[in-house]
Parts: sequence; C-alpha cells; structure tokens
Amino acid sequence: MNAFKKRSKLMAALVTGAAISLTIAGCSTGGATTDGKVELSLLVDNTDANIATVEALAEAFTAQNPDIEIDVQTRPGGEEGDNLIKTRLATGEMTDLFWYNSGSLMQALNPDQTLLNIADEPFMDTVTSTFIDGVSTPNGVYAVPAGTGMGGGILYNEAIYAELGLEVPVTWDEFMDNNEAISNAGYDAVIQTYTDAWTSQLFVLGDFYNVLAEEPNWADDYTANKVNYADDDVAIRGFERLQEVYEAGYLNEDFASSTLDDGLRMLAQGEGAHYPMLSFAVSTIVELYPDQADDIGFFAQPGDGPSNGLTTWLANGIYAPADTEHPDEVKSFMAFIATVEACDVQSDAVGATGPYFIEGCVLPDDVPNATADLLPYFETEGGTAAALEFLSPVKGPSLPQITVEVGSGIRSAAEGASLYDQDVTKQAQQLGLEGW
Amino acid sequence: MKRRTRSILTGTLAIIASVIVFLVPFTFILMTASKTRQESAALQFSWPEQFALFENIVEVIQTRDFMLITAFINSTVLTVASVTLMVLFSAMVGWVLQRRQSRWNPAINLMVLAGLIIPPAVVPTIWVLQGLELFGTLPGLILIEVTFGLSFSVLMFRAFIAAIPRELDEAATIDGAGPIRLFFQVAFPLLRSVIVTVIVVQAVFVFNDFQNPLYFLPGDENATVQLTLYNFQSQFDTQWNLLFTNILLITIPPLVMYIFFQRQIVAGMTSGAVKG
Repeated sequence: MNAFKKRSKLMAALVTGAAISLTIAGCSTGGATTDGKVELSLLVDNTDANIATVEALAEAFTAQNPDIEIDVQTRPGGEEGDNLIKTRLATGEMTDLFWYNSGSLMQALNPDQTLLNIADEPFMDTVTSTFIDGVSTPNGVYAVPAGTGMGGGILYNEAIYAELGLEVPVTWDEFMDNNEAISNAGYDAVIQTYTDAWTSQLFVLGDFYNVLAEEPNWADDYTANKVNYADDDVAIRGFERLQEVYEAGYLNEDFASSTLDDGLRMLAQGEGAHYPMLSFAVSTIVELYPDQADDIGFFAQPGDGPSNGLTTWLANGIYAPADTEHPDEVKSFMAFIATVEACDVQSDAVGATGPYFIEGCVLPDDVPNATADLLPYFETEGGTAAALEFLSPVKGPSLPQITVEVGSGIRSAAEGASLYDQDVTKQAQQLGLEGW
Repeated sequence: MKRRTRSILTGTLAIIASVIVFLVPFTFILMTASKTRQESAALQFSWPEQFALFENIVEVIQTRDFMLITAFINSTVLTVASVTLMVLFSAMVGWVLQRRQSRWNPAINLMVLAGLIIPPAVVPTIWVLQGLELFGTLPGLILIEVTFGLSFSVLMFRAFIAAIPRELDEAATIDGAGPIRLFFQVAFPLLRSVIVTVIVVQAVFVFNDFQNPLYFLPGDENATVQLTLYNFQSQFDTQWNLLFTNILLITIPPLVMYIFFQRQIVAGMTSGAVKG
C-alpha cells in the first residue's frame, strides 16, 4: 500500500514537472530589441496592394534610419480583422504600428483610451484637414494617411458607351435612360454581385454626395438622431435606386451568385456596362485584364440633379497603440509617412488609385483611365463629399445584408431603410451617443 | 444470384457517390492550382490552358519569407504535442472517473460537460495566458488546444472504459500491479481503438483550427498552416490559383498520413463505434 502511494506521488511530480517545463519554454521567446537597433512591428491587412505599400514604406524608412527596422505582419481583413484588432488592443498585445480604416470603424476602437494621440506632433501639419477629420475625436488625432483615397461611384465600360453613342449621365434619369438603351442592345446594364455582400451597399453609400447636396447638415443631424433613412425623402433615394434597377430588370441574370471577381470580369470583357464600385477595384482590373483596362471609365453616382459630385472614401490610416514600447520611433515613422517623398514611394510601389491626403503630393502621370476620371471631381470646388462613415460614427453592421435584400426584391426600399434605422440604433447606443 | 447482383449494384453506386463527393472537389483544387491568376479568377471547372502548377507552388512557398515552411513546422509541433497530451490526460481522467466512484464524480462530470457546452471567450483567456506569461507562445496555444479538446476525449474514453471488464483489473491487482502499472500496462493497450479514434478526430481538429491560432498566437513567425491561406485571400481581391495551390499543399500531409495509417484508423473507428 505504501509503494502504491509512492508511485502515484512520483507520477504527480512527473506531470507537474512537464507542465512547468512548458511554462519555462514559453518565457524564452519574444523581445524586440537587438544590439541598439529597434524593431517595430507593423500589422497590415492582407490586401496585396496594402502589403506592398507598407513594405515599400518600411524599406525607404529603414534606408534613412538604419537603427529602426520594421517587421511587417499580416492579418485577415473584414469582420475577422476588426475583431482581431479590438482583441489585441484590449489585451495590450497590439503591434507597435497598425494599418486600419479611418472613419466610423476607427471610432469603434475606443481611440481615446487605446490609441496613441499624435494631435500635437509637427508632422501633422502636412496632413490635409479632410483626413484629420476622419481620424480624430474631440480629444485627439490618431493616424497618418497611408495609401490613397477612393471614390464610390460607377465603373463603366467606355466601349459599350461608344458603340451605343451614349454620354456620361449626370442625373439619375439620364442614367436610367442609358440603362434602357444598353439593356435593349443586349448587354447587362447594371452588374451586381451579391455573393460579396458588401458590394451591394454602393448605391446607398455612394449616394451620400447627393444627400449632402440637398441637406448639408444631414450627417450631424444623423449623429444626433434627428434624421434617419426611412423618413427622409432624400436619404431614402439610395435604397430606392437599388430597388429601381432591380425592378426594371437591368441586373445581370446571376447577380445573387456572382462575386466581385465575376463583376470585374463582366465589366472588363464588355458583358455588362455599369458596376457600382469603389475606385480601388481599378487596380484589380489593370492587373487581371491589362488589355481592356483602358476601356473602363468612372463616373460619380448620378443624383436627382442639379449638382453632380463624388462621394469619397478617405485613405486608411497608420495608427499606434497607446501603450507602445517605442513611442519615439513610432512617431518618426509616422513623420516619414507624412512627407511628399513617402507618397512617391507608394506611387512607385503600387501605383495610385486616387488622391493622396498629404499636402504637396501629386499623382504620377500614368494612372489608369478610370483613376484619371476621378481627378476632375477633386479639382472642382465642392465636387466631392466624404462618405457618411467619415462624418458620423453611426454605421450599422447589417447594411450589406439589408441592401442585398432590397437589391434582390425581397424587401422594399422603405422596409429596408427602416430596418437599417433599427440596426444603427443598437450601434449608436453602444457608442453612448446622445439622443438615441 | 439476385442478391449478388443487388450487392454489386449498391457497391458500384457507393463507389460512384464517393468519387463525386471526394474526387471531384479534389480535381477542382488541382485544376485551379494549375492555372494562371487570370484564368483562375473565373473559377471554372475546366482544364488549364497554361499549366502553371510548378510556378504556383514555388510562389506559394516563397510568399512572405517562406512562411509556409515555418507554418508547417509550427502546425506539426502543435498537432503532435497537443494530441499526445490530450490522449494521455483524457485517458487517465476517463479511467479514474469510470473506475473509482466518489462523491466528486458528479461535479467532475459537470465540469467536463461544461467544457463542451460553454463557448470559450477570447479576451479573458488571453488575460489568463498573459498572467502565466504564456501568451503568444506555442506552449500556450498547445495548452489551449488541449483544454478545448479534453472534454470530448474524456467522454469518449469513459464510455469505452465502461466496456472493459473489471475482472481484468482485479486479476492484475491480485498479480501485484499497482494503480499506475495497472493503467499503463493493462488498461492503456486495451484502449488502442478509442485512442486511434481520438487521435484522428483531434488531430484533424487541431490541424484545421483557424480561430485559436489567429487570436492566441499572433505574429508571422508563429503562423500555422491554416493562417497561410489568408496570404492569398483578402476582403477585396483573391489570387485563386495561389490559394488553391496552398490548399493543395496543406492537404497533402493529412492525406499521406491517412494512406499510411488507413487500416488502423478504420479498425479503430469501427471497433470504437460498436463497443462505445
């Protein structure tokens, strides 16, 4: 009986020993500094262009500052990426720098507590105020712009336009007339790709210039819960446009099962004429269909007139967590990004698909056709307006699903709009906004 | 005679069904992996016009500083270590729970069931790991995988052990075996079939796990094979040819394992099913 006990004690000791050795092995990894050099980690989402941008910036920066090296790491995009960023910020395990969206997604990170405030840094002087508005709270500014801005509007096939003798529409009625003509000629007038649900939101989000044109205070009123989509005759037009193109039968036949890749292919190969999309997709077209890229143009989403302008998306930002171990090095990297030189590095690395948000930066001459179409809007006074998500922190998570329903005729525009109003209520209450 | 034709018929049907279910998707993976990026974007079930499998494999392996190689090493260590610990611990827990009745048993059973029912929360788990200084290390992730797999394995072992006659233990005890020896030399070999089942199920689970490595083991040098898929698939653009090449490459090790251990696996699964 005694031997029996001894043995089980021995076993217990063995098991404990194994557990402890695991723990010790765990401690030996980690540590970022090696012989006077500082290594900063930078987390970027896994979009090719973004990785290439960051790697080019890191290389150029290290060439100037040999003591600081940048280790680029990647993460998934979309909702998975949002969760990952929030988790890592909440647990204090964030990389020294990270790439993330500006606007309402950044507001959801609880920036005043989790992010490094760079409001008073001198390098912020060259960053345009449009961008600063999109990455600040009343208490601070949190990012420098990386990459270029985008426009949300309609990519169109110029070859089809030329064949049918059509002109770029500036009002919704002209757009629908064009659709009629294109449809009669046997092409798909409007391409929709609801397998990638986010692509369905463009008619609603891209319509925001038209909303602001008629009601300039709409975004602030929306944040204060004074207006909403369902009861506002102007704002609901975005949902109605989605319903109209569906009911008129202008969509490609397999819109419910198509993906973004399918949509770009149909557009490039001339099966369809219009594709509501963000202008960044131009770079995919240039890569996949270099021969047809010159046929693809871009125009802002037409409204009910008379003004016509572009809804724009700000560039992404490079942020740092408040608890970074190397605040000075992080700031010197941010200072580098906020220079004209950094813009040129980015243009060389991935080309430009929209304007930069650093003063003095110019686009290269050889931008794709569709990107060139964007520029006149930016050069016109009042030709652009930031998308709602950069003017108001209120954005409901279910918009893609709702726009898919409206765009497939499952729900009417009015029902969709009021459902979305309910959806944002939850978000606004979580953010603790006044008036909700 | 009639019966024989019928059994041949059902056999043929079963073979055709499994060809459709298993080989068709695999062919699709292989064909897409052999295409150029442009051709693969159409996602069609067609023979590649340009055969680019070799170039794709080279590119996939070289991506992000040979991340796939690191990932294979990490995944292998992770899978082997966590499955070994899981089998060892759950067999011991299952044995004690089944053989030794005590007033703790209901409480322990409740905890085991709770492990199956209650979903793990990410942030508090990270806090615990940080407290133990295990966060972001492979041993930390191994312990997490072991914890999440333990409940299921304990239930499997307990059910199986119930079918082992107590007379065996008694005979062994009379012959002078202590409890440790009784477990490791008498009982453990008898558990072979259920061990194989647990190994197969949990190895597939751990090898395929995406969520846990993503949250608990950040950093490129810590990637596991499932995370490498995200090198080629992003929210806005996906390189389908490279994605499918990657899928092909990371499907091969489990496939090879299956071919080698097929007999043990099938035997283990079926005997486990009948007796359990």
